[in-house]
This record gives sequence, structure tokens and C-alpha cells, in this order.
Amino acid sequence: MSRGVPAVEDEEEVPGSEQSVSAPVTQEEPERELTHEEFDPKGTLALILTYFAVLAIMWVFMYFVEFLGNDLIVVG
Amino acid sequence: MSVDQETFADRYPQEAELVRRAFLVAFTALGLGALFGIFQALHRTNVLRIIPSTDYYTALTAHGVLLAIVFTIFYLVGLYQWAVTRSLDRSPTNINFTRAWLTLMTVGSAITGVTILLGFVDQIGISADVLFTFYAPLQAHPLFYTGLVVFIIGTWLAGVDWFRTWLHWKQDNPDERIPLQTFMVLTTMIMWYIATIGVAIAVLFFLLPWSLGLIDTVNPLLTRTLFWFFGHPVVYFWLLPAYMLWYTVLPKLAGGRLFSDPLARVVFVLFVLLSTPVGIHHQYVDPGIAEGFKFIAMTNTMFLLLPSLLTAFTVVASMEHGARQRGGEGLFGWLTALPWRDPAFTGMALAGLMFAAGGFSGMINAGMNINYLIHNTLWVPGHFHLTVGTAVALTMMAGTYWLWPQLTNRRLYSRPIGLLQVVMWFGGMALMSNSMHVAGLYGVPRRTAEPQYAGFDFNTAFGSMAELNIQLAVGGTLLFVSTLLFLGNLTLSLGNPKVEGLGQSLPEPLSGAEDSPRVLDNMRLWAGIALVLVVLAYVLPLGAIIQNGGLFGTGGDAYPVSVLGTFDGLDAVLELLGVGR
Repeated sequence: MSRGVPAVEDEEEVPGSEQSVSAPVTQEEPERELTHEEFDPKGTLALILTYFAVLAIMWVFMYFVEFLGNDLIVVG
Repeated sequence: MSVDQETFADRYPQEAELVRRAFLVAFTALGLGALFGIFQALHRTNVLRIIPSTDYYTALTAHGVLLAIVFTIFYLVGLYQWAVTRSLDRSPTNINFTRAWLTLMTVGSAITGVTILLGFVDQIGISADVLFTFYAPLQAHPLFYTGLVVFIIGTWLAGVDWFRTWLHWKQDNPDERIPLQTFMVLTTMIMWYIATIGVAIAVLFFLLPWSLGLIDTVNPLLTRTLFWFFGHPVVYFWLLPAYMLWYTVLPKLAGGRLFSDPLARVVFVLFVLLSTPVGIHHQYVDPGIAEGFKFIAMTNTMFLLLPSLLTAFTVVASMEHGARQRGGEGLFGWLTALPWRDPAFTGMALAGLMFAAGGFSGMINAGMNINYLIHNTLWVPGHFHLTVGTAVALTMMAGTYWLWPQLTNRRLYSRPIGLLQVVMWFGGMALMSNSMHVAGLYGVPRRTAEPQYAGFDFNTAFGSMAELNIQLAVGGTLLFVSTLLFLGNLTLSLGNPKVEGLGQSLPEPLSGAEDSPRVLDNMRLWAGIALVLVVLAYVLPLGAIIQNGGLFGTGGDAYPVSVLGTFDGLDAVLELLGVGR
């Protein structure tokens, strides 16, 4: 029996071409199939680097918000 | 297009009925919880006070327990029952057993829920205004703890049911890898069994006997520590169903495939290992726990960022794969090729975005020294409304838009209203959570009906308190309206005619389970290591707490927030049994 997919499988389709049941009926279907080798997630890398940059800026900003406005806290 | 695909309801009608039943309880709790949420948002900000301030804690307890326990966990069991059944393509070994645990959970929730709500009716003399964090010295009516015990036993049996179904499947498929969704269910439940050891001991040995009058005192620090032993991993119990939807459903909605099945497995294993030995990070300001133990908890907590960052990569890469298959181009241009008009997709994507923001405020909470600056301020509810309140709740609602038609064979009443609903939730939470974080930085306390004090003004670095209050009230109102839209849309969907062709398949991952070592599927190994880590993190601090404060404390009074009046039926029962109060 199939793993990870339900009983009915259609091998001829582009994976992901089945319309989502919550999508508008006019939604366009995927136009091509990308295999693991053909797909290079550089957009993901760009987004994650952006997130890290935001985190770093927030971290620096925190120094001004938290420490310059308050007394030092000594642990221990 | 495989339009003739069977739906889950066609193939497994009895199981679909149970999933719907679990969702019904979850969404009832969601509606009630949202109602108490709007009461608080308007009350705290002094915009509209419907209930007296003395009833604020009843509303707060109901809001916390109904949303954080009942809504999330009933949704979890519904989703996981669907996932185990479909990914193993197999019914439960005994469906009556499945019915039994769901009934137990429902009865337990009803007992606890009614006990909390009775707090609004002073004449009856039963209440449990102990908040979601129900440790001593706050004391609830015994029925509160009793319902909780029944509920948790129900969840344990749910795990037994899923493990049993998997073991039978394994006998028939000895050489197969565990299907990904079942793998996620089993690892989540291992984590849950370990996590609930803490709350089971706290309730059965201390809080329940104490509220029944069988023991006079408890050690408050011990019950707090046992609560947080459970109280941190429970947040992953909320989160992991959302992760399941992100890993297995979101790529399909995006029009792509999961980037890596092995990475998903590694993430769930990391949660089994790291979720529990971190609870002390909720107790950084508790006296009686040595700084060294707190430091260990902080270190473990920082390791927990790893599975969430792995998730950010895998889930975003899977979305990007869908966008590229849809013809998306460019470094950021592919984002426009995503199916933003699908409420299930948009809801989950926005939930993920908010989780990223919650990651930052979570790091502030987790740092021992920085935590002192925001501890017990409104910042903390601001944080967890981003995580459980959006990453989890919005993903669950969005997932429902995709799942509900397959459970009922009826189309959604309105897709555009669904889209409006998820965007409204995002906008409302952005306002409410932002104002809570900022107010927290100014020192505004959490858990209080009246955060204003006579003759004292909070110093704001920019803007004013009035501005923050308006943001909070408007945000809370938008969230409440969004909840009504969600519940209304689902209810109206039930009026749609039954149709065929709503079945959905899930695409295979780009990199499948065969690319990962088989040891990942060794549940005993991960459970064993997780237990060792828990022992390492907790034996010494718990030993020290008992040594210093005694198993049952050194005296002191309870703060019974169950008001015991003349109408207390339990007293009569205890008298009959010859047990004094």
C-alpha cells in the first residue's frame, strides 16, 4: 500500500498539479515539474539571510531599549 | 486532474466522523475562548467593562484553559487521527477504543470547563480561578483537577491507539519506513508521555489531595517546577500539529513537494529530545533553584532553536519549489507566484511569518539576564500570542479550510470570507501583539484586570499608553471578529450539498525517507535518550527543592480560589466517607 499518499495515485500527473480543494477554481495549475536536481532553493536562502539580518538588527536595537534605559542586572 | 479521488470521508466514514467530533469540541472551545479573550482585551484597556474586575481571573482562566488546552489538543487528536489513518491507509485496530478515548477527553474537558465557568456564579460556591498555570498556592475546586486527570488519561489512550495501529501495520509491512505523518504522530506522543509525567505527579500526589483536604500543605516550588516540567513541552504539543500541516500539507497547497523528508524526521526527533529538559527557563526568577540549573535549562532552550530554524529552511524551500513549478522567477519574485488566494495557503504562510517574529521575542524570554527585564510583564502574553495564538491557531484554522471539505464532502461556504478571515487574524494579531510587547517593555504587568495605578504613570519612550491601549483593543476586536467569521463560515458550509470529487492526495517529498538512516525510525532509542536528558536536567533541582522545602512544604496557607460555600456537594460526600476537611 502506498506510503505518504492516499490510495489513488496518478503517476502521469505533474506532482502538485491537483487543484487544492480550498483554492479558487480559476487558479492556474503548475506549469512545469522540477526534480530535486533541477531545484536550487536560492530564494529560500535569500529570505533566511534577510531574517538573520533582521534578528541581528533587533538584537543590537535591544541593547538600546533594554540596557540603556534600565539599571544593570547582575546574575548570581 | 484526478477529480474522482476518494475523500477521507468516503474511504473512512467512521474515522471521519470521529475527526469531525474532535474538531467540534475544539471549535466550541475556540468560540468560548475568543469570547473571554475580547472581554479581557477591552477590560484591561478600560474601553468596555462587561464583567466586574473580580471576575477577571475567571475569564482569564477560561480563556487560557479553553484555548491552550481544549482547542489545541482536540484539534491535535482530530488531525492526528486523520494523519495516522490516511498515511498507514488503515483503520484503528478497534474503533470503539478510539471512541472511548475521545469520549474520556470530552468528559474531562467538560468537567474542568464547567468548574471554571461556575466561577461566574457566586451562589453555587464552586470555582477554579487558578489560570492555565494552575500551580500552588492557588487552589482550585477538586473537580477542576479531576476533569484534568480524566482528560489527560484520554490523551494517553489516544497515543496507545496510534501506537497500536502502527504496530499492526508494521507486522504487515516489516521492511517499510514509517510513513512521515505517522512518524510525526508517534514522536509527538513520546514527547507527550514524557512531558505529562510532571503534571500527573503534581496533580495526583499534591494538588488534588490538597484541594480535597487530604493533605494540609504542599511545597509551592515543587508544584511549580512539576508544572513547568509539563508546561514547556506542552507548547510543542500545540506546535507539532501545525508543523505537520506545514511539512505535509503546505507544500501541496503551494503546488510543490516537501523538500526533504529526512530533515522533517530529524526535526521531530530533536523535539522529542529537547522539549522537556528546559522547563526551568520559566522559573528564572524563582528563588530556591540554583542559578547553575537555570543556566543548564537556558543552554538546552537555545538548542531548541535548531529544529525551528531547520523547519524555516525546509518549509520555505518547499514553498519555493511550488512557486518555481508555477513559473515563479527571481530571488524574491517567486513569492508572487504563490497561491495567495487560497485561504489555507495564505493562513499557513502568514502563521509561519508570525512564528518567525515570535522566534525573536522567544529568544529574549529564554535569555536568563534579559528575561528579568520582561518577566511577568505584558511582553510574555505578547510573545505567546504570536506562537500558540497565531503560528498554531491560525495554521489550524487554515488547515481546516483544506481538511473540512474532505471530512464532510461539502464545499466551503465561502473561500473569500476564509481569505478575509486569515488576513484579519494576521492584522489583528500584529496590532495586539505589538502593543503587548511594547507595553511589556514599559513594565505593564500581565495577569491583571487593572494595570493602571493611582498616582503612577508608565514612562513611554515613544507614543503613549493610550495609543498602546487602543492598539490592543482594536487588535483584540479584529481577532474576535475573525474567529466569528471562521466559525460562521464552517457552520454555513454544513448547509452546502454533498458533492463528489473533493478528495486530495499529498505529493511525495523531493528527497524521500530512503535518503535518511533507518535509525531515525527507532522510537525506543529516542525515547530512551530523551528520558536520560530529563533525568540529567531535573533530578538534582527537584532533589534540592525537596531537601530545602520538604515534600509537602513547610507550612503556609493555600489561596483557595474555589469559593467553598454551603452548596458544596463535595463536602457532603466527604462527610459521608468520613474524611474531614
